[in-house]
Amino acid sequence: MSFDDSFPPFLESIKSLLEGKLFFVTKEREQGRGSGKWREMPNVVVLDNGGGLCKAGIGGDNNPTAVVPNCLGRPSASKKWLVADQLQACEDLTSATLRRPFDRGYLINPDLQKEVWDRVFRSLLHVDPTASSLLLVEPLFNLPSIQRSTDEIVFEDFGFRSLYVADSPSLVHLYEASHRPDGLLSKAQCSLVVDSGFSFTHAAPVLQNFTINYAVKRFDLGGKALTNYLKELVSYRSINVMDETFLIDDVKEKLCFVSLNVSRDLQIARRRGKDNLFRCTYVLPDGVTHMKGFVKDLDEAQRYLTLPDETLPQPVEKKEDGHPEFSEKPEERKRIDLTKTEFTLTNERFLVPEMIFHPADLGMNQAGLAECIVRAVNSCHPHLHPVLYESIILTGGSTLFPGFAKRLEKELRPLVPDNYQVKITTQEDPILGVWRGGSLLASSPDFEEMCVTKSEYEELGSIRCRRRFFH
Amino acid sequence: MDDEISGSFRRTSSRTRKVASKMVAALASSDNRTQAALARLEALESDNAGPEVIELNDDDDASLDEDDSVHVQKRQSKNTKRRTRQAKALESAKKAPRTFLELLQEANLESLPPHVPSYLRAGVGPPSSTSRRHFCTVCGFTANYTCVRCGVRFCSGRCQNIHNDTRCLKFVA
Repeated sequence: MSFDDSFPPFLESIKSLLEGKLFFVTKEREQGRGSGKWREMPNVVVLDNGGGLCKAGIGGDNNPTAVVPNCLGRPSASKKWLVADQLQACEDLTSATLRRPFDRGYLINPDLQKEVWDRVFRSLLHVDPTASSLLLVEPLFNLPSIQRSTDEIVFEDFGFRSLYVADSPSLVHLYEASHRPDGLLSKAQCSLVVDSGFSFTHAAPVLQNFTINYAVKRFDLGGKALTNYLKELVSYRSINVMDETFLIDDVKEKLCFVSLNVSRDLQIARRRGKDNLFRCTYVLPDGVTHMKGFVKDLDEAQRYLTLPDETLPQPVEKKEDGHPEFSEKPEERKRIDLTKTEFTLTNERFLVPEMIFHPADLGMNQAGLAECIVRAVNSCHPHLHPVLYESIILTGGSTLFPGFAKRLEKELRPLVPDNYQVKITTQEDPILGVWRGGSLLASSPDFEEMCVTKSEYEELGSIRCRRRFFH
Repeated sequence: MDDEISGSFRRTSSRTRKVASKMVAALASSDNRTQAALARLEALESDNAGPEVIELNDDDDASLDEDDSVHVQKRQSKNTKRRTRQAKALESAKKAPRTFLELLQEANLESLPPHVPSYLRAGVGPPSSTSRRHFCTVCGFTANYTCVRCGVRFCSGRCQNIHNDTRCLKFVA
């Protein structure tokens, strides 16, 4: 497939960036490091500032130095607010009050953001902002007022030398294309990035390293909503955990999975005893012997993996009574009431991530992931359709649920014309994918030229400078 | 309110009309149910616990935080700059609890010409099929019945009783 002829020449320069000039300069930087606290080389701070996690590091490195929650929190026992990594280090986060600078995926509180960044730059990265550039990942369609306040923080409060603003889909594409030089992805220079993060999910076609912004589709469901949903379900059905965001995040990450066949799995979830492959127990921290919650029996939690893909396995023993929950639920509830330190999950494990595929089930008037992808592709030129369907990249923390890619393919296949192939690529580390792309871009030799410098900002102001980033 | 107007258009069974008169106000007019659905979605984006809990904490915090920073100021003058800045940030966060929706409204994206891609136009839009699977709010399994008062789903008589006792009308203002 050759798309090369149809592109305007100005894109060629960006293409050449990918084909040859881009390389890691990690080694060079490794040598320059270790001499004192401040790094002498003019370095680039790469910051993927997500609503949930703030990923920060030095351009050229393979992994970010800091992956910290982008929020301030105060444990119930103390008066002191903990910032970012202090929260991770804190032992007892029961009923912590949280303040996030982000709302619905966008920066709404610059003051809180300043606190988090201050901690990240000075205490974790040990960089001097006035001697470094910043590659900042912003959400798509950031509002002008938010861009302005971001620029203010970057240039006026921290005094960075220069700033480059990138969006996540193009960075993910960049990273994947450079890692699979022979794949269709890098040959066609075109991919469809599905980014399911903390606040929302985007399906964004990328062409020649530019996100095709008119084709981007979004639905407002991400990890935060899923955690809150699970929190609600557990609180209603067993123990009140409405204040335990971190705990339920952990439960979600360890126990939730995407079902390949919801109606079948619901049937299995109704069964009793050993036939119920989904039942598993999570033990809450007791504050004495263990400070973190954990899954009681890992083997029990993994049992669902043994399920065949399509068929309904026969239960070992036949159900005697018509309505299994009648006989079972009371005893289960009794057990929970007595101990109060653990709760059991069954159908919640797959009904929670299910909402990404069918937000309508929650009462949202929005299409699910598969349809979102189809609409994004349909907004592009028809010549791109087959390539886009064949190079879908999954990124973002919410794609980490086991079975996510398989289910997506299952949902997508009927919606895609049958002469097109559907190929879904998962990233090795979906949470860090964007950051790694940014690190790659920051180490390209042309990076400094693409930035807006502090003096340019002071002269022209925020809006004029932003035009350089094409989005 | 126009509850009654919209309520009269809703198909209701004769049974619901027998509900005691004081329930009439709370009776699920379609408007009420939309409200409940919106409140439900709003709850999914909330940060910590229910909003009322945060409100309560906030009032306490405000005084505590100020006291705290004053104490610190007195005790250790070295640390004051940082401490007050953080306190200030938290305070201003409280004073101006701007939500993204407010900022969105301010940005006035509707005024952009239709070919300009924006946050609003990137929304995926309603699903092609309006069919919705209903799950029992009590136990999570497929639900065939709807609560006549609040419109929440349940799957069996047992779950209905639990629903009536606990969360009926929870999300209705």
